[in-house]
Amino acid sequence: MPVSTFTGLQTALRGLIAQQEALDTTSHNIANASTKGYSRQEVLLSASRALEMVTGSTEGGSQNAQLGTGVDVDGFARARDRFLDLQYRAQAMRLGGLAARVQGLETIEGALAEPGETGISQELQTFWSDWEGLANNPEDTASRQAVVEAGKAIATSLAELNGQLTDAAEVAEAQFESIAGKGGEVEAMANEIALLNGAIRGATTSGAEPNDLLDRRDLLLDELSELGQVSVTENADGTVEVGFGDAAAPLVEGTEVNWPQELVEPKGKLGALLELTRAGGTIESFRAELNAFAEGLADAVNAIHTEGGGPAFFAYAAGEGAASLEVAVGAAEVQTAKDGTVGGNDIAIKIGALRGGAVDRAYAAFVTRVGTEMVEARNGETNAQALLNTVEERRESVSGVSLDEEMTNLTSFQRGYEASARAMTALDEALDVLINRTGRVGL
Amino acid sequence: MTMRVTEGMTARTILKDLGDARSRLGTIQREISSTKRISKPSDDPFGTGRTLQLSGELEGFKQYKSNVDDGTGWVTATETALSRITETLQRARELLVQGGNDSNGQVAREGIAAEIEALTEAVKQEANVTYDGRFIFAGTETETRPYELGANDTYAGDEGTIRRVIGSGVELPINVNIKELLGEGAAAEDDKLLDVLRDIAGDLRGGTEENAENLRGTDLSRLDENLDELTRVRAVVGATTNRLATAGTRLEQLEEASLTQLSQVRDTDMPEAIVEYTTQQTAYETALRAAAHIVQPSLLDFLS
Repeated sequence: MPVSTFTGLQTALRGLIAQQEALDTTSHNIANASTKGYSRQEVLLSASRALEMVTGSTEGGSQNAQLGTGVDVDGFARARDRFLDLQYRAQAMRLGGLAARVQGLETIEGALAEPGETGISQELQTFWSDWEGLANNPEDTASRQAVVEAGKAIATSLAELNGQLTDAAEVAEAQFESIAGKGGEVEAMANEIALLNGAIRGATTSGAEPNDLLDRRDLLLDELSELGQVSVTENADGTVEVGFGDAAAPLVEGTEVNWPQELVEPKGKLGALLELTRAGGTIESFRAELNAFAEGLADAVNAIHTEGGGPAFFAYAAGEGAASLEVAVGAAEVQTAKDGTVGGNDIAIKIGALRGGAVDRAYAAFVTRVGTEMVEARNGETNAQALLNTVEERRESVSGVSLDEEMTNLTSFQRGYEASARAMTALDEALDVLINRTGRVGL
Repeated sequence: MTMRVTEGMTARTILKDLGDARSRLGTIQREISSTKRISKPSDDPFGTGRTLQLSGELEGFKQYKSNVDDGTGWVTATETALSRITETLQRARELLVQGGNDSNGQVAREGIAAEIEALTEAVKQEANVTYDGRFIFAGTETETRPYELGANDTYAGDEGTIRRVIGSGVELPINVNIKELLGEGAAAEDDKLLDVLRDIAGDLRGGTEENAENLRGTDLSRLDENLDELTRVRAVVGATTNRLATAGTRLEQLEEASLTQLSQVRDTDMPEAIVEYTTQQTAYETALRAAAHIVQPSLLDFLS
């Protein structure tokens, strides 16, 4: 089969087009070097279909040969490792949870104001000292008043601390609502993923590779995984089904969004917020411990204060000790002695001797526990951050744009383009000889 | 496959390392400027628990010291009063010996009796002494005058004990039961001081031979018994004073020790912190310098 005179031109043209598209892709990569979630793209090139031709006949008969016709652009591939995406999302979920927990606990730790001059432990010590001062001066009204005031100071601080714990729980709850509720972040992201699903399905059906849309969708899934556990199922049509937390129905199904749904243990940031606020969660356990301390204090003081048949010093509502604790007596009713004598001080001495006992230890244990929880959460956060950094490094190594690499590619594609053009020029010159000068002899 | 390293990775690594160095520097800066190693529970949860416990102990020692001071004032007032009573009684004893002497006539004895009665009033006056507005010999009825002046010798206080806490779980009685010493006078016939003094006055005025015998015999011996008892009580009070003084010194030492411990747990070790600060600052500066150099070169610099 004879070969067209212009085959070579066509081959050179294919080269020009391919190098041009490779240059465009390089340029696209460079332009997106800093784009979040962008995966570098590569032109997939392959040699185009060869021309079958018969070579000159020999004694053995004619032979077939294939003449190369240049290059084809098969598509544009996205450099991406799905496995690293999974790892990334698992760590992002852990980090999201621990960071939210650290934030919540920080407020509580700050509210304690321990160790310091203004915390409850200091007020407690003042309270004991005032009782011992009263033991030295049981006749003195001012000393009685001091004991009452010190008791009130503790009650006020306990109520405040309890209020701050309640506030912290409410803030966490509001945060959860604003993220997971109607019109919140989760829904906004789900809507965008559903839209992207539609666009990606359209492109995939028509055979195109919608790389940039896929990048955008992966980025949204990364961000979503900080909020809760994300499970992604890929469908043949390019869409993904996204499961979120422990919600019963998938968050995104094709182009459908099912939200809001009930979450019990969604993990991630939402999981941490729920854990802080839910019944039996961290904040509630802190409040329970604070209540137990307040009631323990009141009971210990009251038990001694009533020994002589006098009134109870503290009053509280059971189960709500921290919020409801109050001094139930005035200065005149403060008891100093069992026998009620004006100079007796056995009760005052006994209450003062509570210093360093179970009441003090209960409070110190509470503070230590808040600190320990905080340290654990913070260490976990640091650890999750380090792991996330490692995974991100790996992922960046696969998907990130390296400018050195792109510059090298740019140079090589530019040279390729120039060479293709040169090939075309050479063929053009050859054809010029054939068309314009062949047969013109002796002119 | 070797790991590709992109500009983004380098930038992120540098940012992370700079951030870490900055945060370490911030931590050590805070430790230095606050002079506290622990400024919130999570800096060292168990150290915080220990800090609270030690602060409580320290506060306790301060209070015990104030209790000791108050107790010392009380006991000193007691000692003074008892020593005055002793002096008064010694004077009474001299008068008794003098009155028992037969060479004295009844007129002289009447005069001595009047003086004895004045001394009895003086003893009761001393028993009514106050410290800081409180009657120290009235038991726990510290706002009640123990003895009315005059003929009525009834004790109006109670026999309650007043204690001071001078250490964790250590209580020390600081008051003296004056009723045990002075008694309730002739009406009670309890052979205590007031009873004896009233009897002496009575015997001086009585003028009979039996009265004179009493003056030389039982009155003198009963007075001496009471003087012995007074001396014994004063020895106890002296011992209390000593215990208070010892406790005061001991509390100073305990406070010192507790303060040292608290400081070790809570406070920044300055020399160490400053060395650490310098190290961290150098590290941070080095990281900055490295970052400035690392980010610069790229293939672009060499392509024409």
